[in-house]
Amino acid sequence: MLQENTALIPDMIKQIPLVNYVLLASILFVIGIVGVLIRRNALIIFMSIELMLNAVNLLLVAFSAYNSDPNGQVFVFFIMAVAAAEVAVGLAIIVMIYRNIRSIDIGLLNKLRG
Amino acid sequence: MTDYIPQDYQPLLFQLVLALGFIIFTILITHVLGPRLKNAAKDAPFECGIESVGDARAPLAVRYFLIAILFVLFDVEIIFMYPWAVNFLKLGWFGFVEMLFFVTFLMAGFYYIIRKGVLNWEND
Amino acid sequence: MYPILFLSFSGLITLFLGFFQEGKWVKPATILFLAIASISAFIDWNKPGAYFFNMLQVNNFNLLLSLVILITAILIVAISDNFKEIEYAHSAEYYAIMQFSLVGAIMMTNFQSLIMLFLGVEILSVSMYVLTGTDKRNLRGNEAAIKYFLLGAFATGILLFGIAMIYGGVGAFEIDAISGTLASNQAQSLFLYIGLVMLLIGLLFKLAAAPFHFWTPDVYEGAPTIFTLFMATIVKTAVVFALYRILHQSFQNMHLSWSYILAGCIALSLIIGNLSAVKQISFKRMLAFSSISHAGFLLLGLLHVSKTADKSLLFYSVSYLLASTSAFGVLLALKNERTENGRSNENISVFKGLATRSPFLSAVLIISMLSLAGIPLTGGFWSKFYVLTDAANDQFFYLIVLALLLTAVGVYYYFKPIITVFEKSDIQEAITINPIFKIIFVLTTLGTLVLGLFPDLLYGMI
Repeated sequence: MLQENTALIPDMIKQIPLVNYVLLASILFVIGIVGVLIRRNALIIFMSIELMLNAVNLLLVAFSAYNSDPNGQVFVFFIMAVAAAEVAVGLAIIVMIYRNIRSIDIGLLNKLRG
Repeated sequence: MTDYIPQDYQPLLFQLVLALGFIIFTILITHVLGPRLKNAAKDAPFECGIESVGDARAPLAVRYFLIAILFVLFDVEIIFMYPWAVNFLKLGWFGFVEMLFFVTFLMAGFYYIIRKGVLNWEND
Repeated sequence: MYPILFLSFSGLITLFLGFFQEGKWVKPATILFLAIASISAFIDWNKPGAYFFNMLQVNNFNLLLSLVILITAILIVAISDNFKEIEYAHSAEYYAIMQFSLVGAIMMTNFQSLIMLFLGVEILSVSMYVLTGTDKRNLRGNEAAIKYFLLGAFATGILLFGIAMIYGGVGAFEIDAISGTLASNQAQSLFLYIGLVMLLIGLLFKLAAAPFHFWTPDVYEGAPTIFTLFMATIVKTAVVFALYRILHQSFQNMHLSWSYILAGCIALSLIIGNLSAVKQISFKRMLAFSSISHAGFLLLGLLHVSKTADKSLLFYSVSYLLASTSAFGVLLALKNERTENGRSNENISVFKGLATRSPFLSAVLIISMLSLAGIPLTGGFWSKFYVLTDAANDQFFYLIVLALLLTAVGVYYYFKPIITVFEKSDIQEAITINPIFKIIFVLTTLGTLVLGLFPDLLYGMI
């Protein structure tokens, strides 16, 4: 567990134990993973990946607050910016595929086989 | 600062239940109270005017997607300005120069988009 | 760190160069920029230190890695042919993205803070997603791009969760802080274990090591050959040395925990890579499976924390880079050979009759195949030798035996193209080779042979 430096953490935050945040973030993350694994629609898979990234953001902010260390929050900014770049590239790829095969079901993509 | 105990969050829970309850109640009650009419004209996307042609999910021009994608990019880059805006006195000239670099890079990308003609709507 | 700064600017300049004179200066300019970036790495030579608020670590070994990556990039850019085979190609953008992706690769080898590791991985990966999908009208390219993108982004999510967990366990992102916490504190927290495992999964995925390899054959086959080469060489090198920094420099005290995970991955990579490569018809797909088995060998060099691990890994990377560049380069030189449906023939059968049509190309291909198989007198033999010597201790003896057995399987499939070269073919016309290709092939082939004959030239120097 974290070495919780109790003097530095505001009382407000201490009301809810850290483990609750970790559990919530982990549950959101697992929902994202399950979404990626079972859905067939490229857009939904994409949304699930975004959910995973945002679960990580929540986790980082929670750790950052309990650690009284701003680095974690700075990292969240970077994750958001990078996620936006990924969204741009991902949407471009999905639009490209939609223009070619008029569908975004990943089951239809089976041209490459060994 | 005062200590909060779980009971202090009761109003929040109450509000949540109320909000959800209202939504569910409204959805259900409209089905019960609303008059039902079903015929071909009612089911048509437009009840009057000219006959509808083609699929309602007509493909949008790729231009829209391009604009949307570019919007996402430039929109989110702004978050880097928040920490600077909050602390810009403390960061001083160093922070200013760094931000200038950042904006220059961003604007270089923007200029590239304009040169590529992505924002050009008239001639397709 | 000067290459990082320089390439960020030169990438932008390359983008705008595309507007002048229909972009005919883009390729020479890119080579020039990469050369300047390589030279700029020497500004920090013998001046180890930390940069950007202790985010990047610079020392001579890291600079050497940057140089290896940059020089490989120069070779790859030199044999790229302005992307004539791609419809509606925006070659300036591809060259610019290649330069940006190198920024990511160099960050991954020099990082000090896990933030930089994440940024490096993402800059490299997002660039590769774009480059994989450059052939927009080609359905196979599309499929490769979406597979690479979705699975790559998924792996990024797992990697990030790992970093967040490590942050929770340590309270800092610096890898020195991690090793400090581990050294001072015997009872390691659960957060650190979860974090390390997830970080490993994310990076092994990018390395294409089994069981996280399933995207590799499809993506390697579907992407344009030049970018497949980029993926097989630069991405792999960058990820291996990122793993090296994490496992050997920050988690060395948890060696017992991660060495078993790594051993499992190595065994699976070697088995799956070598056995699946045997039945492949497509040359690119065969090289994809071969790259999985090479990922296994690279991880074998990481298995044991020793003083020579960095040397062996660098030697392995360099010899693998040279041999891969030759192998993919020969395929690129033959891209005018078409199949019935008009696509470039990328099957092993394309080499039929090469011995009479172009003895030079066949020599290049044969030497690269021998090096990849690990036959003596080539760099590939010594790289395997050093890696196996490093890994040789009682604990993982069975892995060495497995690696040696599967190298024998490897010899079988690497000899398939070699045999095809000597088969008779109906087409007799000689193949004309671009002079730039000739220079690159001479360089890579000579490099492979020199590493094979005088391994101490590189191994002793590091």
